Amino acid sequence: MSEEKLISIKGLSIGYASEEGVLTAVDDASLDIPPNKLVAVVGESGCGKSTLGLSIIGLLPTPPAKILKGSIYYKGTDLVPLNAKQRRMFRGTEVAMIFQEPLTSLNPVYKVGDQIAEAIMVRELRKSKSSKEVKSNVMQSVYDSRTVGRFRRLRSRSRVPSALREEVIESLKLVRIADPEQVVERYPFELSGGMRQRVMIAMALSQKPSLLIADEPTTALDVTTQAQVLKLMKELMNEVNTSIFLVSHDLAVASQVADEVVVMYAGEVVEHASVYDFFSEPLHPYSKGLLSCIPSGPKDETTLDPIPGSVPDPRNPPKGCRFTPRCPYAMDVCAQDRPRLIEAKPGHWVECFLYGK
Amino acid sequence: MVNDGMSDTVMSTEELSKYYPIRKSFLSRSPARYVRAVDRVSLQLPRRKTTAVVGESGCGKTTLALTMTLLIPPTSGRVYLEGKEITNASHGNWRKVYQSIQMVFQDPDSSLDPRFRVKDIVAEPLRGVLHLDRGSANSLVLESLGAVGLSEEQSLRRPAQLSGGQKQRVAIARAIVTKPKLIILDEPTSALDASVQAQILKLLINLQATYDLSYMLITHNIAVAHYLSDNIAVMYTGNLVEYGPTKEVVKKPRHPYTIALISSSPIPNPWKKNLLSTEIKGEVPSAINPPTGCRFHPRCPYAEKLCSEVAPELEEVSQGHFVACHFVSKTA
Repeated sequence: MSEEKLISIKGLSIGYASEEGVLTAVDDASLDIPPNKLVAVVGESGCGKSTLGLSIIGLLPTPPAKILKGSIYYKGTDLVPLNAKQRRMFRGTEVAMIFQEPLTSLNPVYKVGDQIAEAIMVRELRKSKSSKEVKSNVMQSVYDSRTVGRFRRLRSRSRVPSALREEVIESLKLVRIADPEQVVERYPFELSGGMRQRVMIAMALSQKPSLLIADEPTTALDVTTQAQVLKLMKELMNEVNTSIFLVSHDLAVASQVADEVVVMYAGEVVEHASVYDFFSEPLHPYSKGLLSCIPSGPKDETTLDPIPGSVPDPRNPPKGCRFTPRCPYAMDVCAQDRPRLIEAKPGHWVECFLYGK
Repeated sequence: MVNDGMSDTVMSTEELSKYYPIRKSFLSRSPARYVRAVDRVSLQLPRRKTTAVVGESGCGKTTLALTMTLLIPPTSGRVYLEGKEITNASHGNWRKVYQSIQMVFQDPDSSLDPRFRVKDIVAEPLRGVLHLDRGSANSLVLESLGAVGLSEEQSLRRPAQLSGGQKQRVAIARAIVTKPKLIILDEPTSALDASVQAQILKLLINLQATYDLSYMLITHNIAVAHYLSDNIAVMYTGNLVEYGPTKEVVKKPRHPYTIALISSSPIPNPWKKNLLSTEIKGEVPSAINPPTGCRFHPRCPYAEKLCSEVAPELEEVSQGHFVACHFVSKTA
């Protein structure tokens, strides 16, 4: 493994068990995430982009999901064969995640400050103890704060030690929340959507992770709020020195914030390039189609070129390249074999027979 | 923008307001409070044109549409359809109103009855509004389904057997079947993937030409509004803050909120990072207790004392371009 890769995914396939057999959500996907870069994965619903994100942090619902083959290297360690306890050492502290709807990720009955404090406590415990002790102690402390702690907390607001409270306030300041002293005492429902997502980011980054997985973090937000949150994420990425794996359906958002763009279609990684290479010359026919679907001006001055047809049924994907039935450049070979991901230009990877076998 | 009953306007509103009362405890003696969802909006929809209403969630754009179509009664103000007031239309007149106005909603899963077959969904307005029987409705239904690109075989399916794009096509077929003059499109593509959104946008343009339709497009997506609309109305917490020809407003927005909204809208161009240079601060205020004066003043970079005291009225800054801002000269 070379040192410059934070995450290296090799030939990863993930299936979901269903009544009609195993549906392959991610099929033989390979990609690398370099340190301190924002990699955006874009694709339409059902292309496997969220499944890929969940597999990196180890939050796939297993069953029904199952990693069929492949590996996910994190700083040289393969995460796939690890058991649940070993996985837990990475989750949160090394790799953190934020989700689309912060209201479902935050616990509605705890104050925001206590929830961030819990995240920081977990980090400190893991740092201070050897891994065996941590395992039991972390669970014990989480258990305490959920049951016994609830009553103590009601009696005295300062159950959270003042040093920890300071750190909670610092983490809220980091995400540019005004009046952090007040916000720690609030419940999630008392915050606006943008504030809630900031709190989620504060919790995730309080662990100082090397990788933050952000699954559609701004899809539920208004455009002006989306702009603020994306700008914040981009700034914090450099301040905290982390990488961001941004899962998004919106190529426009990706173009604005990403360093690298990964396009997925029907479970396959079809293109991977730097954001400038990708937008100056998209190579895969699906990427080209996706770009010409975005309205970029008035109807009498610009044309929209919709991709004909629709995304294939995952129960019955087309043979060969899965884009073949919708592809304007399809050749005989496309319906027979699946192309390999090749480096068509330096740093520009594409999975298409147009650029060689 | 006073309604002058001119024939090139298909529908218009005059000082239309919708206040929702907030339910309070029955012991409470505090005065009744209201959510001012739509506050004194005067808007004209030109015939055979597309008027986009844009704004963020809670700005009142959907309430405006529902109030205009009388699906919810307005608190005050008037609604005109082809120059005739319909605000207090009696039941008999409603039928005529709904022959002329139809709506397409955001989520086809909740606007299509899952137990109906496609052809019965599309026939529903013919039977409910025009009282046609099943036989005479059938040919109109098939024509309308053909126009949106659905086959006769698909007309026998139920919504669950269709994809998201096909379901939205059914909703559009149902809207055009009564040959309306105006279709209100409430976020018609928000629930769809990019490639399907493009198909639906193309379809809407073709139908507009074929059936001489006027559209009112409600959306939060500036790119979609820019593509589809001729005129654009920008709303902020229940107020209309800017109105004008789309090309002009998108290229040269004058209201500080419109400027922020357009610069916050991501464009697929990594060389022009408008999103990361946007300077808007704060979030949309509560409509229960909106700021005094101009509702945008706490977030506005140009705000002065006057803004917190007096609400600005719409003023014409150039031909057909109206802005509600005291200091509109600063954004010139």
